[in-house]
Amino acid sequence: MDFLTGLGHGFAVALTPWNLVYAFAGAVIGTAIGVLPGLGTPATIALLLPVTYKMDPTSAVIMLAGIFYGAMYGGSTTSILLKIPGEAASIVTCLDGYEMARQGRAGPALGMSALGSFIAASLSVLAMSAIAPGLASFALKFGPAEYASLVFLGLIMAVYLSEGSVVKGLLMTAVGLVLGTVGIDPVFGAARFTFGVPHLMDGVDFVAAGMGLFGIAEVLMNLEAPDVRNVYKTSLRGLLPTRDDWRRSWAAILRGTGLGFFIGVLPGGGAVISSFVAYAVEKRVSRHPERFGRGAIEGVAAPESANNAASTSSFIPLLTLGIPGNASIAMIFVALMIHGIQPGPLLFQQHPNLFWGVIASMYVGNLMLLGLNLPLIGFWVRLLRVPYAYLAVVVVIFCIIGAYSISNTVFDVGVMLVFGVFGYLLRKGGFPAAPLVLAMILGRILERSFLQALQVSAADLSIFVEKPISAALLSVAALVMLTPVARWLWRQRWIAPGV
Amino acid sequence: MKGDVIGGLVGVLVGVGVVAGALALRIGTPTSPQPGFFPFLGGAAVVLLSAILLVQAGLGRSTGTEAFGEVRRPAILILGLAVYVAILDPVGYVPATVLISGVILRTLGVTSWRVLGAGSVALAVGTYVLFARLLGIELPAGVLEFLG
Repeated sequence: MDFLTGLGHGFAVALTPWNLVYAFAGAVIGTAIGVLPGLGTPATIALLLPVTYKMDPTSAVIMLAGIFYGAMYGGSTTSILLKIPGEAASIVTCLDGYEMARQGRAGPALGMSALGSFIAASLSVLAMSAIAPGLASFALKFGPAEYASLVFLGLIMAVYLSEGSVVKGLLMTAVGLVLGTVGIDPVFGAARFTFGVPHLMDGVDFVAAGMGLFGIAEVLMNLEAPDVRNVYKTSLRGLLPTRDDWRRSWAAILRGTGLGFFIGVLPGGGAVISSFVAYAVEKRVSRHPERFGRGAIEGVAAPESANNAASTSSFIPLLTLGIPGNASIAMIFVALMIHGIQPGPLLFQQHPNLFWGVIASMYVGNLMLLGLNLPLIGFWVRLLRVPYAYLAVVVVIFCIIGAYSISNTVFDVGVMLVFGVFGYLLRKGGFPAAPLVLAMILGRILERSFLQALQVSAADLSIFVEKPISAALLSVAALVMLTPVARWLWRQRWIAPGV
Repeated sequence: MKGDVIGGLVGVLVGVGVVAGALALRIGTPTSPQPGFFPFLGGAAVVLLSAILLVQAGLGRSTGTEAFGEVRRPAILILGLAVYVAILDPVGYVPATVLISGVILRTLGVTSWRVLGAGSVALAVGTYVLFARLLGIELPAGVLEFLG
């Protein structure tokens, strides 16, 4: 199926009445959780998983994807009006967005954020439509050795591209790998770390762990801090940016889109890092960098474009390689697994409805989001006045239902609670939870692929370096791992600058 | 720094436990791995990285830790959820959820008993109808089983 035929087929799927409803529901929920500080996308996707159990898998992913990219639109609203990012990917938008609001220009800031997001997301969906089928076809050449190397690279990059301490990121990856080995091992059938508990024979459930780490931990964190939400009193009239705003922003939007798209494809990249990189690049290329932080509209346009482009392109490794690159995508990966669908290169051939339907739904969803975000901005601002108590109780109840419904046992609710407390302590200690979840999921794939590669090669480890694709992937992983060492040597002046 | 020291010590202990468990499962060799091979690698990495974290903390290079604020409210929720796990099967979804909703709303400052009672019941019954009746998700009926 070529690109245009596939896309046409995808639109036929995405434009069915029910899929339009699900795309709209995803866009609305995504915008709402993006607006509301204190609830992230991985948590929302995790706690809505039980809603999708009885749904058609394509409709389920259309809705969950809508939540993910919809949150990027909504996240900027609180950044601009409250200086509180609704989403981590909108942190950098606070710098200039809030300054614009203080100067009475909240309208153009919100308008440029929505329009820049729309342009970036639309261009990214277009690029994804063109690239994804080719990448899926290429990935069909992957054997177990290539997959093992790819997963290894993915884990390494997820750590090195995430924020915070690399040691803590690596430690969380190692903990995730250990947790991923709990249960019956895939080759020998030995029970590992099950402690005689029958429920652990199938391993630690990703859904319960995800709900705990992202949902319950988030609520526990928010319970600590007092609920203060002072919306900046400013005029929301004149949402459309002026001609001068566009003159300043169009190149920033394009650069943000390109950077965001590229970073989003990388495992661990995603929306957060892309927004920071786009802001830094924009400040560097600007003739007047001193304007940044004082209400420069490019400082809103670039990161908002980048985070939307990244959230779209982060679907590429999931749909084509079967590798989730960040925590939100990992939850969508879990949703596919729950429906008995293995994400990866065969998805393109075996489930064209899902593959193309989800891509086409992103065109539709972004149009809906533009309509939801610009004219209804007043409604989203009013949503901020909902007391956190009601949001918290709904999150906890959804998490309970989601965990219980995994296997209709209270055991999974207990697992969710344990991971919730664990996630809370991790957050307090500055340990990132995303590499842990990714490693839990990817670790199982890594072990299976590694063992299969050894079977194929008659127990010869050189298969990992003799296969060109595998060797290339391992080389990139080695380069990524050596980067901090090189940086440290550079700082010590052991390498002369300019060499 | 304190968080990193505690995290590092817990990591070393857990990692050593994992390594011991992996050795008991037999690890084999890289070309002939046994069931304990991957857990051994993971456990060894946990020990090594936790030790690095401890060294960094010792050198005063801890980053990212956040001091605990008002821990009473998180503690109440954790305790409430622990009780919830214990009573969910015997008493059922609706009564248990009324209880946990009430605990959360009260902890977060809802003081009106009328709002507290009505809100908790509405949330428990509403989510039961939505998930169990409309979406067909099985939830324990418990003491309300006689209602069908």
